[in-house]
Amino acid sequence: MTRLLRIACIALWLAALGMPMGCSHQGGPYLSEDEMQGRALFELHCAPCHQGAHPELRKQPPKLEGLFQSKSLPSGAPATDAQVRKTIIEGRGTMPAFDQRLSKEDVDDLVKYLHTLK
Amino acid sequence: MRRSNCAGALQYVPEEELVIGSKSKVGLAMVIVLMSGLAVTGCKNQNKPDNLQRQALEKHENKRYNLRGQVVAKNVAANEITVQHDEIPGFMAAMTMPYKVKDPATVQEVEPGDRIAAEVVVVNGGSNYWLEDVRITEQIGRKSASAAPSVHRLNVGEHVPNLPLVNQDGRTIHLDDFKGKALLVTFIYTRCPLPNFCPRLSSQFAKIHDDLAKTPDDYRKTHLLTITFDPKYDTAPVLRKYGLAYLDDDPSGFGYWDFAFITPVDLRKVADAFGLMYFEQDNQISHTMNIVLVAPDGTVSKYWSQEWTTSELEEALRQQARTAAAVPPRASRGRTP
Repeated sequence: MTRLLRIACIALWLAALGMPMGCSHQGGPYLSEDEMQGRALFELHCAPCHQGAHPELRKQPPKLEGLFQSKSLPSGAPATDAQVRKTIIEGRGTMPAFDQRLSKEDVDDLVKYLHTLK
Repeated sequence: MRRSNCAGALQYVPEEELVIGSKSKVGLAMVIVLMSGLAVTGCKNQNKPDNLQRQALEKHENKRYNLRGQVVAKNVAANEITVQHDEIPGFMAAMTMPYKVKDPATVQEVEPGDRIAAEVVVVNGGSNYWLEDVRITEQIGRKSASAAPSVHRLNVGEHVPNLPLVNQDGRTIHLDDFKGKALLVTFIYTRCPLPNFCPRLSSQFAKIHDDLAKTPDDYRKTHLLTITFDPKYDTAPVLRKYGLAYLDDDPSGFGYWDFAFITPVDLRKVADAFGLMYFEQDNQISHTMNIVLVAPDGTVSKYWSQEWTTSELEEALRQQARTAAAVPPRASRGRTP
């Protein structure tokens, strides 16, 4: 069996399982279940401030695309999972704290989704 | 166990957004499979003209979904209400989010706490949406404000209650401490995540602080006070951190702008006095947006609860300070840095 044929068979098997192998999602990568959860949380809690322009606000919330692509966060802190979790839970500057409003699992999912933002 | 009220949210993916990946061998393999008629349903027939035409039509066709939920907040200026809603089958999981409304009168009519039914109109495959046909099914918002027989919103000219508050320095203050100055009061909670609500109010107050500081005479005769709806979470250190974020980390600004919490019992009293409505659910506080101008003699001078601009607030504060009857200024509270 050639390599190409093997891949075709795998694709056929995934198709039978209803998994859209080879399909992208909204122009981005295919998201895992956790990342999808993270995306939903992002749309609900983060996007209202971090997407679009907010001239009425004292400080403009930074865009989060490529958050983990650089070494540091917009605040200057290291771009690590731990630091992003801390920022989400405790807030920073004018960003509100999500303490007691998001579960640990929620925050984990959010961080996983933020990693997919390029 | 999967949890939150957002579980499964935004799983609605327009079919036209599923495209065949063709750059990888996997994608090539998929093409082979698709060409042999064994296609993945979501990806097949992408290139048939009639299918593309149908998708284009669907993209611009309005879709309507029934929504049921509870109003969390409203913003008249933005023509927007924030709704904590049940699952909207076929569109969205249960969650809390802001919606524009077609009829501006709707925003005037509903109050935070009201249960509503409405239609979500969705266009362009979900990129734009709004509410139509909003019906109030239960007037909880009004009931919470009017249930207590003692509720009386102060009229202009009536004295504000001299209740004790605790500010960002942990110091007890009273509204009467501000006699002699024109006082602008508003209400927020620090964990508010909606940019058009508490963050907007605090940003407006920060701008007023900046502008008034440029005119020392007006600055001396005026003061800002932000009171939290969330005394359980917004303790003095939390309020101090929050305040510093809006004062560019300059603690001297607290000499002009206090951030304070009040006991839950007194919060209800001051809310009733100023005509605020609020309630807490699942660590989220639904509330109206209100601003009160208190004259130097300690009486209510003006309310804002619908629309306002920063310059309008600023001008009213300046005018109040300049035209007010001479009232001896209070003694300095000797702030700590």
